[in-house]
Amino acid sequence: MKSNELINKLKQSDVRAVARLLTLIENEDKSIEYILKNIWHLTGKSYIIGITGPPGAGKSTIVDLIAKMALENNLKVGILAVDPTSPFSGGAVLGDRLRMNSAQKSGIFIRSVASRGHLGGLTATTRFMINGLEMLRNDLTLVETVGAGQGDVEIVKVADTTIVVEVPGLGDEVQAQKAGILEIGDILVVNKGDRPGSDRLAKELKMMLSLGEHKEWIPPIITTTATKELGIEELWNKIKEHRDYLENKDINKTRLDKIKYDLENQLSQHLFTRKMIQIGENEIENMAKKIFKREIDPFTAIETIIKQ
Amino acid sequence: MDKAKIRVLIAKPGLDGHDRGAKVIARALRDSGMEVIYTGLRQSPEDIVEAAIQEDVHFIGLSILSGAHTHIFPRVIELLKENNAEDIKIIAGGIIPNQEIPKWKEIGIDAIFGPGTSTKEIIEYINRSVK
Repeated sequence: MKSNELINKLKQSDVRAVARLLTLIENEDKSIEYILKNIWHLTGKSYIIGITGPPGAGKSTIVDLIAKMALENNLKVGILAVDPTSPFSGGAVLGDRLRMNSAQKSGIFIRSVASRGHLGGLTATTRFMINGLEMLRNDLTLVETVGAGQGDVEIVKVADTTIVVEVPGLGDEVQAQKAGILEIGDILVVNKGDRPGSDRLAKELKMMLSLGEHKEWIPPIITTTATKELGIEELWNKIKEHRDYLENKDINKTRLDKIKYDLENQLSQHLFTRKMIQIGENEIENMAKKIFKREIDPFTAIETIIKQ
Repeated sequence: MDKAKIRVLIAKPGLDGHDRGAKVIARALRDSGMEVIYTGLRQSPEDIVEAAIQEDVHFIGLSILSGAHTHIFPRVIELLKENNAEDIKIIAGGIIPNQEIPKWKEIGIDAIFGPGTSTKEIIEYINRSVK
């Protein structure tokens, strides 16, 4: 499909066109700049909810249930579900759809995304993929991260509301004290509420939050049993409360901050690539050799290279 | 920068629950560097085609052991046509009688891999067709 043809179809929210656009964004295809330039003014209109947490916590099932609630409230939904790429083969098995039965049955647009070596829980192109998805004119975008560890906090730079899903049995309360994904949750969910230890985990999380600095928005803790659809309505209500809170506070300010962060990242990437081409691989190799032989120290080497 | 990957949807339509074969294929394709979308058991042709379009895959892989292929093959082909998505190719595996294979290929199944096919053969086939 030619770029202009694709742009026309995107403007009509054609599903195949949107799917193709997402592929081009993922592949960092050459045509993508031109296409995004032409549709940019139409994007940025959905409310973005991020769902993160450790592998097997029930993220996909919860995404599915949130999507269902949204449908019942007459909202249009799009889903991006990120799974890890194998560091060995570069391939991936993307299985999030498996747990998104009701979303699948109701025709919600779900896109499985492989992380393709990017760390942080998302992919290098997630932000633009959300914008691409918005050509469907969805009210809500749900982004599920890779099963996240303690440092995978990138979602918070993308989502309006971040939900962290935890499950009982993964560690003691010191785990909850550590920095990391627990800190980024606007809403904390204790899933698998029918398992022993879920009450205790909820209490520990509450403790942790009460010890921290008091912010305007105190993350609520909700216990769910996703497989039995328990606690989902409460979760939905808290999402709405958080959205109202942001809107009263000035949601545009927070969104502007995120765009600024993105712009800085993209800019530094561009400047980096341009400068690296200018310097050339030989110069880097030469300097590395000199550093290795202790003829020069790394700091002087960098100064010398940049001055060139 | 060319970062394109081959994407394949592996689906297990029909009512039987024997998905070992589908999982083995999914794993083998992953290990060869492809991105595999695994949709699980008891998918209807409608679910499969919708997912294939959203996921923008090159191939749909159907694993059928129950004999339901006589209904499912034509329906999947028809739905792809209806959605202008005939560029998505269909490969199939499972229990498909040998004497039927020419017939299915004629109406639009790209390749059929019966029991005993090595995963290498399937991977090579996909790689060749995408190029």
